[in-house]
Amino acid sequence: MDGGATGPAGGHGDVGAALRAACADVRPAGEGDAVSGVAASWVVTPRSAEEAAAVMRASARHDLAVVPTGAGTKLDWGAPPNRLDVILRTSGLTGDVEHAPGDLVARVPAGMALSDLAGVLAEHGQQLVLDDPTGSATVGGALATATAGPRRLLYGTARDLLIGITVVRPDGAITRSGGKVVKNVAGYDLGKLYTGSYGTLGLIVDATFRLHPLPAARAFVTAVYAGAEEAARAAHQVAGSQAVASAVEVERTGPGAPVSVAVLLEGVPEGVAARSQAVRRILGYDSQVAADPPVWWGRLPSLDGGVLVEVTFPLSALGRVLAAIDEAAGRAGARPAVRGSGAGALCLGLLPDVEPSVPAEFVPLLRAELGPLGGHVVVRRAPDPVRPRLDLWGPVAALPLMRRVKERFDPGYRVSPGRFAGGI
Amino acid sequence: MRALAERFREILGDDGVITDPVRLRTYECDGLTVHRATPGIVVLPGTAEQIAEIVRECNAARTPYIARGSGTGLSGGALPRADGVLIVTSRMRRIIEIDVANQRAVVEPGVTNLAISQAARPHGYYYAPDPSSQQICSIGGNVAENSGGAHCLKYGFTVNHVLACEIVTPDGEITWLGGGDPGYDLLGAFIGSEGTLGIATKVVVRLTRTPEAVLTLLAAFDGIERGGRAVSAIIGAGIVPAAIEMMDALAIEAAEAAVGCGYPEGAGAVLIVELDGPEAEVRHQFERVETICAEAGAFELRVARDDAERAAVWTGRKSAFAAVGRISPAYIVQDGVVPRTALPEVLAAIDALSADYGIRVANVFHAGDGNLHPLVLFDDAVPGEGTRAEEVSGRILDLCVEHGGSITGEHGVGVDKSRYMTKMFGDDDLDTMQLLRCAFDPMNLCNPGKVFPTPRLCGEAPGVRRGVHPLVASGEAELF
Amino acid sequence: MDPKLIDDCVHCGFCLPTCPTYVLWGEEMDSPRGRIHLMRQHVEGTPVTPEMAGHFDACLGCMACVTACPSGVRYDRLIEETRAVVEREHRRPLAERAFRALVFATFPRPRLLRALRGPLRLYQASGLAPLVRRALPGPLAAMEALAPELTARVRLPRLVRARGPRRAVVGLLTGCVQGEFFPQVNSATARVLALEGCDVVIPRGQSCCGALSLHAGRPEQARRLARRVIRTFERAGVDTIVVNAAGCGSAMKDYADVLADDPAWSARAAALSAKVRDLAEFLAELGPAAPRHPLEITVAYHDACHLAHAQGVRAQPRALLSAIPGLTVVEVPDSAICCGSAGTYNLFQPGAARDLGDRKAANVLATGADLLVSANPGCTVQITSALARRGREIAVAHTAQLLDASLRARPARALLRGGRP
Repeated sequence: MDGGATGPAGGHGDVGAALRAACADVRPAGEGDAVSGVAASWVVTPRSAEEAAAVMRASARHDLAVVPTGAGTKLDWGAPPNRLDVILRTSGLTGDVEHAPGDLVARVPAGMALSDLAGVLAEHGQQLVLDDPTGSATVGGALATATAGPRRLLYGTARDLLIGITVVRPDGAITRSGGKVVKNVAGYDLGKLYTGSYGTLGLIVDATFRLHPLPAARAFVTAVYAGAEEAARAAHQVAGSQAVASAVEVERTGPGAPVSVAVLLEGVPEGVAARSQAVRRILGYDSQVAADPPVWWGRLPSLDGGVLVEVTFPLSALGRVLAAIDEAAGRAGARPAVRGSGAGALCLGLLPDVEPSVPAEFVPLLRAELGPLGGHVVVRRAPDPVRPRLDLWGPVAALPLMRRVKERFDPGYRVSPGRFAGGI
Repeated sequence: MRALAERFREILGDDGVITDPVRLRTYECDGLTVHRATPGIVVLPGTAEQIAEIVRECNAARTPYIARGSGTGLSGGALPRADGVLIVTSRMRRIIEIDVANQRAVVEPGVTNLAISQAARPHGYYYAPDPSSQQICSIGGNVAENSGGAHCLKYGFTVNHVLACEIVTPDGEITWLGGGDPGYDLLGAFIGSEGTLGIATKVVVRLTRTPEAVLTLLAAFDGIERGGRAVSAIIGAGIVPAAIEMMDALAIEAAEAAVGCGYPEGAGAVLIVELDGPEAEVRHQFERVETICAEAGAFELRVARDDAERAAVWTGRKSAFAAVGRISPAYIVQDGVVPRTALPEVLAAIDALSADYGIRVANVFHAGDGNLHPLVLFDDAVPGEGTRAEEVSGRILDLCVEHGGSITGEHGVGVDKSRYMTKMFGDDDLDTMQLLRCAFDPMNLCNPGKVFPTPRLCGEAPGVRRGVHPLVASGEAELF
Repeated sequence: MDPKLIDDCVHCGFCLPTCPTYVLWGEEMDSPRGRIHLMRQHVEGTPVTPEMAGHFDACLGCMACVTACPSGVRYDRLIEETRAVVEREHRRPLAERAFRALVFATFPRPRLLRALRGPLRLYQASGLAPLVRRALPGPLAAMEALAPELTARVRLPRLVRARGPRRAVVGLLTGCVQGEFFPQVNSATARVLALEGCDVVIPRGQSCCGALSLHAGRPEQARRLARRVIRTFERAGVDTIVVNAAGCGSAMKDYADVLADDPAWSARAAALSAKVRDLAEFLAELGPAAPRHPLEITVAYHDACHLAHAQGVRAQPRALLSAIPGLTVVEVPDSAICCGSAGTYNLFQPGAARDLGDRKAANVLATGADLLVSANPGCTVQITSALARRGREIAVAHTAQLLDASLRARPARALLRGGRP
């Protein structure tokens, strides 16, 4: 490594010049340019994959730690980087969507907002069925964190919709895997690996997805239950019914509160009408059919900055999981709001001003309760004072293999270092 | 090899180790017979622990090993090596659990794809991916190849239906991938890695509710072109059928000869369109599909209204590959993908190739997703015809790549297509894949020589390296 | 082993799940695909090794693979040719040779079988069975365990006249095992045919049809027996020869192939083969005339390999049974997998036969049916003995017996009595 090229203090000039040679839009980091409290030295905004690759090469040469960011909606998720030099913004990686409506696929630049993409695809009556719980995420950010929303029940998550990806490797090589056709088994499907990798394996510059037609009709059937067990039974029954719901969601404002169940049906008008009635028969006569979603639909249960916990579990455990949440919350004195999916994934939110000792107690209790149910508890986001007191990831069976993957892709631990499970 | 066989006998008993040369030779190829190699040893383990032990022994002896399920692969992915061990999972075929409440099943790798559906059916569920060989292909093989099938247009592939796998890693450790664990999606990368990243020893699959209604339409056209028009119009109408399959005149002829499927006489192409889902949705959409097909010029529409009629419609399609044996002494089954909209152009180009080379090509394809299965027919008794057929087959892949498609949609790369990988991927792309491989298999003993054009060994491997690697010694690999 | 027939195999593996030995052992060389590969090795110059012969011997000849094969590989012809090669080129151990000689000397000879009946009945009555079973060497114990309990012999007339208007004149093959051990099936068959308007000719002096020899690689013996059967039925002057034992029907339909190389006989053989019909096949073609009376009973229908696979007769017996008012037909899980009887297989490969019998027994019990319909005497013996090993029983009857009961308005319980056909 050439001497002293690690930060503004030493060799600032060298590094700055190297980055500027790589990319037109480079500026020294300012006050707010930090990731979970770790300050950066530089902010670069490449306009193309080639520029991004040049930045990565320059960073490799100067041993700079790089954290990519899109809209920044989830920059405080995961662990803070254990070092940081360059924030690489993907907001310059925009441009045209390559939409092939006849093939139901689209190649999308990573910096594009999912909401903008939706507008482009809708012109041809199509959609990418990837719900964005933050409302303003970019394609790259949604992939890197593998966020998903209600319709995961029917359509799966980002990994199930991604068919091709271009990634700049930590050493600056621009590499592709997958392709532009839905059916393709040539080579390893590295898209799976990058999805949910928190930017620790490289920089996603574009992605190709399989699309779906926009449904002609949709309806939401909702019901409110006093007890969690009753609500869970209804949700589970709908998920296993012939109504083929696109989503089955539950919501609870806090322990002991009533539980709402909402079911989304999509299809042709005649079909949706008939299926809505079928779902009403399951949810009970008090259930309502509406054209629009309930206000909480598809949104995270926690305000910005609050603790956000994701719980995954086998489908049939919903009722027991809700009870376990209440149990752990009661003992820890927490009041988590719960939203999530009958597909076996719930998000729990605690208010930002929560006493740090509360989540520190709540999360291990919850893990202990859910372990026997086959559940996993991951802390997606925790405010700075809380985070050090939490094991964000819990046990990870294949961690040794994951570490070896990281070591092969990023032997210098320079890309989003430490952001991911096990210090990866 | 002899010492290794002795160790294996200690692990598995005499019954689980094959060393007799006549017996070994019956394992010389999988479903693709052009590539053959008699394995050094065949083992038939019964448990994950035994496989782990076998892998550790292989590592200690620096001997390559290859996993094989039912041996139905069509890309030589399970091609043995004379200097290697073939680990056959055909005795690991227990269905461990059908967990209806959680819509999943836990099975051993040797369980056949169809057996899962059969076990789930009484509960109102099935396993969605349905490769044509579903009655015999093993779920372990499906995981290795990320198998699709006719219904993957709507339901996706193996990777979308496997929730977790217990695997034996190339280190000889048993670990679980997936199953809700946070971290890298190693499961997603493992599925479709063609047996190069380890051996699946238990598979947890998602079970799908048996659809309330299934309607199948057989539409006959005078030729591929009109059939293709119907497909475009169906997709354009925002309908996602469970399957859309097309066969051309030659493929129909073969299927008639084999199974007497009774497709409409004089059809230059038949289209099978299957819709499934809630009754009310399916009825409505099916009417539209019928109208679209009629408008596109279908001269006969046949609706299968029950399982027996549906089976009759599908029989011709499902038997098409093997059926071609009835009309040609030899043939190559090709597997390529083009964007669906490029189908007419590519099919015309295949026609032209066929005429140029004087080689007949029968076409069977998953029309909904542009996955072509051209069957290149030839007579191996005629000198030179085999070579010409090979050339036609290769040129078809070129066409696929030129049109932005893929060299394989579901059969895998294996040993057969590794040389075509460079047509789709650059050096950097392949090197990146190699990084993953090296992370899992630094010693490069797990099904080496498959998928990648030039197998490369992993430099600076964390594992201890002793002596010259067998692949370097044989000139098959270079250092990476 | 005809290399052309071998080349038809494209190695797709569709035959594997239908092969009983593959189902048992999961080994390539004990699957049809693997055995064809072994044949190829032999054709290419590898001599018949004891291992190779073992894998061919282990084949039941159930022909389920022929049904499953999309490429139309004639495995039936291949294995027949192969067995002859094995008999010719492979020298078996002495004890095995002696036992095979005994079986092939006894079974194809109805008179010898008849001679065995007396001692067998005495022996069954004596209660010595368990003792003797332990004392006998393996293969003989197998034979002993499979011997069916005997009912009184029935002697059929040479001609049974049609009831009502005559619709056909048919010959009836009485078969060796069927005739000697299950005579009531033959009487039921004759009655059903007569009630459906057929004159039934039952020639005297019928020899064995040769099925066992044919399927065991003894083509000379098979040809000799075939010629006798042809002669016998030529003299009978019938349009159709009805056979109620699956293995016999299958062999007789193959006479054209068996005698294809014999110029004096090929045409006669082809003519005879063309006249052969399984009972169910024939009745389905003929169509029902006699009124059916209700039988309130649930039956499981067992597919005999030589009916379902070798002759493709699956739908007809089910349709005939379903047409009986009150009767419900249920399917046996994995019905395409052989029960392990397979002609002489349960004598020569008792271990595998027993495992397959056990699987079949479990599947039969899983149906919960009152009665098992089996149209082949070998299967009947095999399945009932497998059930007996589990301490279970199920009544077994031939399709003919159910039809007979329905046509004659006999109660269903008559079929269930005693748990034996």
